[in-house]
Amino acid sequence: MTLSHQTRRNIVRGLTYLLLIGIAVLVLFPLWSAFTISMLDDAEVASYPPRLAPSHLHLTNFKRALEQAPLLRYLFNSITQSTIVMVGQLVTASLAAFAFAFIDFKGRNIVFLVFLSTLMIPWEATIIPNYLTIQAIGWTDTFQGLSAPFLATAFGTFLLRQFFLTIPKELHDAAVIDGAGNLRFLVTIVLPLARPALGTLAVYSFLQTYNQYLWPLLITNNQDMRTVQIGIALLQDEERFMFNIVMAGVVLILVPTFTLFIAGNRQLIRGLTAGAVKG
Amino acid sequence: MKRFTWYLLSVAIALSLVLSACVAPTAAPQPTQPEAAAPAAAATEPATPAEAAAPTNTPPPTPTAAPVPEGATQIAFWHSMGGDIGGKAIPQLATDFNLSQQKCYVTPTYQGSYDDSLNKLKAGLQSKDIPAVVQVFDIGTRLMIDLGVATPVQDFIDAEGYDISDLETNVLAYYTVEDKLWSMPFNTSNPMLYYNKDMFRAAGLDPEKPPRTWDEFAEAARKLTQRDADGKVTIPGATFAIYGWFFEQFNAVSAGYYADNENGRAAPATAAAFNSPEGVAILEWWKGLYDEGVMGNLGRKTVDVRNAFMAQQTGMIIESTATLRGMIDTAEGKFEIGTAFLPRPNEEAYEKSGTIIGGASVWILKDRPAEEQACAWEFIKFLAAPPQQAYWHTMSGYYPIRKAAYDESLDQEWRAKYPQFQTAIDQLHIAPNNRYTQGGLIGVFPAARQTIEGAIEEVLAGKATPQEALDNAAASVTAAIEEYNIAMGITQ
Repeated sequence: MTLSHQTRRNIVRGLTYLLLIGIAVLVLFPLWSAFTISMLDDAEVASYPPRLAPSHLHLTNFKRALEQAPLLRYLFNSITQSTIVMVGQLVTASLAAFAFAFIDFKGRNIVFLVFLSTLMIPWEATIIPNYLTIQAIGWTDTFQGLSAPFLATAFGTFLLRQFFLTIPKELHDAAVIDGAGNLRFLVTIVLPLARPALGTLAVYSFLQTYNQYLWPLLITNNQDMRTVQIGIALLQDEERFMFNIVMAGVVLILVPTFTLFIAGNRQLIRGLTAGAVKG
Repeated sequence: MKRFTWYLLSVAIALSLVLSACVAPTAAPQPTQPEAAAPAAAATEPATPAEAAAPTNTPPPTPTAAPVPEGATQIAFWHSMGGDIGGKAIPQLATDFNLSQQKCYVTPTYQGSYDDSLNKLKAGLQSKDIPAVVQVFDIGTRLMIDLGVATPVQDFIDAEGYDISDLETNVLAYYTVEDKLWSMPFNTSNPMLYYNKDMFRAAGLDPEKPPRTWDEFAEAARKLTQRDADGKVTIPGATFAIYGWFFEQFNAVSAGYYADNENGRAAPATAAAFNSPEGVAILEWWKGLYDEGVMGNLGRKTVDVRNAFMAQQTGMIIESTATLRGMIDTAEGKFEIGTAFLPRPNEEAYEKSGTIIGGASVWILKDRPAEEQACAWEFIKFLAAPPQQAYWHTMSGYYPIRKAAYDESLDQEWRAKYPQFQTAIDQLHIAPNNRYTQGGLIGVFPAARQTIEGAIEEVLAGKATPQEALDNAAASVTAAIEEYNIAMGITQ
């Protein structure tokens, strides 16, 4: 018995979807599990076998999490800090990448290499000097202090430069002939074309900053300037670990991340593949 | 759609530009921001500890910060207490202190785990970004002394003639080095045996007669272990977390030293001493139970073992007394928790030695101005006072550092309701005060603890005999101690 071409294709498609669904379940399981645990009461969370779905909408854990740590204030701080860093990185990286991609100047490649070499310096090595600097300026407990060290990024510059290189040089020449300056060319032509790369960098830098723990811990002492990751740590009592409350906090701080991811999803996927094939 | 996401992004960027422009500068001047001040609310809500602690299931309102009185000296208090006790009990204690007098105003700040906090302190030393009072864990004591950053509380005790006779002897002994009390104990705990009374009954064991010795423990573990038809273990009778602290405790109750020079108490330690017959015996016993299948292994995290116990997937565990309150709350209506002394190698061991106190103490830092240190001392005395210690005891399970706290009605009611708390107190009181129970005093303790945990893992995995594993661990800890002594300029 031979299967028609059509049927075979359907079977292959079905299997592909099955595989994809399987992977999706694997990826989503931790998130689902976090959500489930955040809905369990104290007795349920310790039951065995563990529950895979909440028995009812149980919102007291969220209330308890908010009582233990001012998570809303922390959320505001984290979003502010991450946004400042994100915008700062987009601005500095696109300007620098533009210079490296479009402007011919002496020693451009050397400067770019030096720039890239800073990627090799681990952040841990610079954290204490950075801390002392911020301290000396008197920026502890401020948003400036939280974000200043991250406003420029070698990685972002590299990412954008690579993307800018895919933009035909002729466009630059045409713009120059039409009398556009560099800045105008960048803003009106390059940036709109580079949206996928910009979106990628935006999401990346936002999440990087959002997930910081050590830096905010070092640089802030004021309760009102703390960020979400410290809030999650604050929910964890070594001696009396309440998973449901911790997970409620985690779910709360996941919301902005999710929103950003959904908003930037398309850009992100295109950004990751952009430049993979140079056309 | 593409257009839509682009709009969203640009709106977000535009919005954030506006936000960052107007938010950043206003946040710069600190620290009394309008929302935290709320003087009216704080004044109408005196929030005594007794009131706040009374009901267990309805949590007390989050304490509101008291207003800063004019001319008061402000001090910072760094702590590492998370969860309910960090989010509520500590702010409550600070607020009570601030309302109790006008001269000093303390602001508590959570600084991450004990390790995080200590690292932040070390980073801050260069720039004097340090608090007046900091909570440091027990095993950071030697390091704090050697860093030379603290004013010993003994100085304040002597200057004022403060009476410490009511404080628990063994607790003081731990933090007393070279005849000086360096820091004021704050949260103190012990390890004890937790067991499931319902499982004891089902296995034909007397729930009122928990095991006291290692042999009795092994016997109970065997009876509690459940197997399926093929003889495969489904529920191990006991489970220990691979936690260096437990080894230290078993070593202490076996009258073994952790470091030379009598645990580093007679003179600074120069070498590890835990690879003694006492230390080896612990791991042989542990490994024996493990090989038999009656001892479970869930890795290093105590919380995993605790969860298994709460889910009735194991019958006996070792845990800190500080977890008691949370475990009782969770087990309510499911099974009955029993508590007992940490099992000893034999009955005679109860006479010779006992458990070491664990937990943390609060330190006064000498680089802060004198008036801040004076306030720090006032705050520390407040924390050590009987009502606060009773409140702290009932909120957390850390036992009081002074005997008078037991006479507080709050504490008496508490122990009447939860007799399990009495075990911890009795265990503290039966322990003789000697070099074993004072515990090891070395500057590289956090690293040493991890080394031991590695050794236990090797033994359980059968990669090394207890003697080999402990010899290797001791060699590595000794090297670390030597390096530390050179770095700190400690010579014999």
